[in-house]
Amino acid sequence: MRSLKLIIASNGLAIFLTIAFLLPMVAIVAYTATAPFDDALGRLGLAMRAHWDWSANEFDTLERFVKIGFAIRSVIIAVSISFLYFGITNWLNMGLARTRARDSIGRQSKIVEAIQPWIFVGPTLVLLVLFLLVPALSTLSLSFQEYDGTFSTGNYAFLWDPDSLGYLQFRLAMRNSLMWLILVPSTCIMLGLLIAVLADSVKWGVVAKTFVFVPLAISFVGAAVIWRNIFAGGGIEAVEVINGSTPSYQIGLLKALLGHTAAYNEPLYNLKFWGNFFLMWILVWVQTGFAMVIFSAALRGVPEDTIEAARIDGANPFQMFFRVKLPQIYSTVLVVWTTLVILVLKVFDIPYALSANDDDKLLLATMMENARNNWSIGGDNVDNLFAAIAVMLMLTVVPNMIFNGWRIHREQKELGN
Amino acid sequence: MITRTFSNVVLAFIVFIWIVPFVALVSTSLRSETEAKTSGFWTAFTPTLLGQRFSTHDRGSTDEFVEMHGNIFERLNSGKSSFPISGEVESILVNARIADPDKPGKTKLIRELMLAGEPFDVRGGSLVFQTNGDFTWTFPEATAPRPKNLDAFINQDPVFGADAYIEVLFDNKNVPNALISSFIVTIPATIIPITIAAFAAYAFAWMQFPGRDWLFVLVVSLMVVPTQLAFLPILQGFSGIASWATALNAWITDCEITDTCQVASKSFASLWITHTAFGLPLAIYLLRNYIVGLPKELLQSARIDGASHLQIFTRIVIPLSVPALASFSIFQFLWVWNDLIVALYIGPNNASDLVFPIRLQKQLGTFKDQLHLLNASAVISMIVPVIVFLSMQRYFIRGLLAGSVKGG
Repeated sequence: MRSLKLIIASNGLAIFLTIAFLLPMVAIVAYTATAPFDDALGRLGLAMRAHWDWSANEFDTLERFVKIGFAIRSVIIAVSISFLYFGITNWLNMGLARTRARDSIGRQSKIVEAIQPWIFVGPTLVLLVLFLLVPALSTLSLSFQEYDGTFSTGNYAFLWDPDSLGYLQFRLAMRNSLMWLILVPSTCIMLGLLIAVLADSVKWGVVAKTFVFVPLAISFVGAAVIWRNIFAGGGIEAVEVINGSTPSYQIGLLKALLGHTAAYNEPLYNLKFWGNFFLMWILVWVQTGFAMVIFSAALRGVPEDTIEAARIDGANPFQMFFRVKLPQIYSTVLVVWTTLVILVLKVFDIPYALSANDDDKLLLATMMENARNNWSIGGDNVDNLFAAIAVMLMLTVVPNMIFNGWRIHREQKELGN
Repeated sequence: MITRTFSNVVLAFIVFIWIVPFVALVSTSLRSETEAKTSGFWTAFTPTLLGQRFSTHDRGSTDEFVEMHGNIFERLNSGKSSFPISGEVESILVNARIADPDKPGKTKLIRELMLAGEPFDVRGGSLVFQTNGDFTWTFPEATAPRPKNLDAFINQDPVFGADAYIEVLFDNKNVPNALISSFIVTIPATIIPITIAAFAAYAFAWMQFPGRDWLFVLVVSLMVVPTQLAFLPILQGFSGIASWATALNAWITDCEITDTCQVASKSFASLWITHTAFGLPLAIYLLRNYIVGLPKELLQSARIDGASHLQIFTRIVIPLSVPALASFSIFQFLWVWNDLIVALYIGPNNASDLVFPIRLQKQLGTFKDQLHLLNASAVISMIVPVIVFLSMQRYFIRGLLAGSVKGG
């Protein structure tokens, strides 16, 4: 029995070492060997340009086609390496087991069976340990160090001490993060519930839901560009651009509706303090579809007999919703809430795209980027401060993590039964 | 009945709010530069009063005449290939010097709006225009005046054109580059995690190995770790690898001669690996919950028939799990395509390799005064994910529900 464990361990190690050496080599060789493909495609591009008389200049055409060539071969190589891994490991596992235990088929299959699960979960574990677990722990330890590696709580003091330089930005970032944390999920949930209920009661509900749903496919930066048209301030001074003047040069719809004159030229999201709410609205616009879809499904799952009973008792639509349906989908509301809270904490793109350098609009995530790029006040400790802010961001998620872990645990139990 | 009407009205209002931004986006991208930056998108659908400058005739003409006929719209549209101006001429702004009635011997500048049909003095002649743009310029005797630039206020008809799209796609090289880069990043970053996660999910669902259950809980609980926490160490790791690779490159090849030894630490490959790692917890969670629900008898009988795990996985589990695979691939595709922050920290940062969200974020600054280009670029960035999303909506919703509503 002892020898069997030894064989399993040594086979596993052999497979691991082979893979760890072979896959990077294959990748390097494959990339070097296929490099002429780029040039070939570049030449094809030039030939096509000459043949069809394209307006793009020669250099751009060449660059573009070489890039497409790189795209094609890198997609093929990257994907085939990930398939290659499973092919090679399985073959190695079978082969090694056959040579080491050729006397007994039972031992052979035992060895294969013992190693196989680790082949299947191996890449996952390696990637998660290297890219999430170890980095998270090392960020934690970085945050408790000075730049020279000595232990210190100075980075947190730098953020929390009212007399220190980082306090002003950090206070604003915390204030804004908390506002986002409370307002965005609650607005999404209320709107999502409202739309789910209304859409179920009208004929064109499916169409309505699709429209509310589509923003989920759009990037946050794209959403920022979209809403810029609504929240923007006045255009360029009309007199300069076109000759004479135009009667109205308000290009933002909301400001035009509010009757703002062109004199105040700033977009609405640049307003001091109140601008935050316009940025939040963009995220609400994107995420309400998510809440709506889930509530819509949950409401459909409410048992028909409870609704029927309430109807017989003479409940009006409001009572029906608040007294009968809502209590029954309460756990779904909580799940949506935690999902949205985690999303909001990570949100970075919208304030970064629209108000990157404004202290008044900082969130923890944008403050990290700010700290990395243009903090001279942090001195040599910039990386450590960055880590400290990241840890603060992490701490705000902890209650949600606990809830989520508990939920998944319970769910797995139910699935197991 | 009242509640039915109420529902319709409220829902219509909400849907209206959701649609208006899209209308703004598309209509702005289809307008001319001047219109896009000087008037709101809602004015694009109705005749709008805008100022336009035209010259009475071409420079350098020496023909003498007593009476000249012309058309303001013809003058405006000559030499213009797109966005033809049409509509009604409301008035012309005249800047002229006349004898000052208060100060004899001096002149003063007047600015006056002349309406259609009212003759006014231009370079000693009398000019009359009609609302349809025809104008007549009469002189007392034959002369050859220099051309005069006049500012006309025109109630312009709506006009749309695809010029902005042509410009960003063919004249500007940033948008095509961003499109290609986004594809380079997204396709492997979607396929690789699915492959890896499917194997792991199968192992977590149907294979026996020590520590299986707590490993699964660990993997899934990593789902909520904010990725920001990991950026700095990952970045340091990649720059370590890059310096090794640079040394290796210098040792193997003769790159010192051309000074091309440097291997970039922030590359497409580092983005693929990072996106793969970040996407794995959700993928394994979704796929494992699906695979565990497959009929036990099927898998057991295959085992008894002597099929290996790899055969069961490729022949039975994968074909049966297509819906779950599809729903995760949409999540990952949308997430990677739309991602800004990972690409910003870990992706390549040379101008031609930027992915679309970063390019768009930069264009918010560079196209501040060319809103038609900004909006066209945004539309192009959205076409791919919206098509994927709408065509595979069913699987997306299924994935959403599997993640949050029991039994979905």
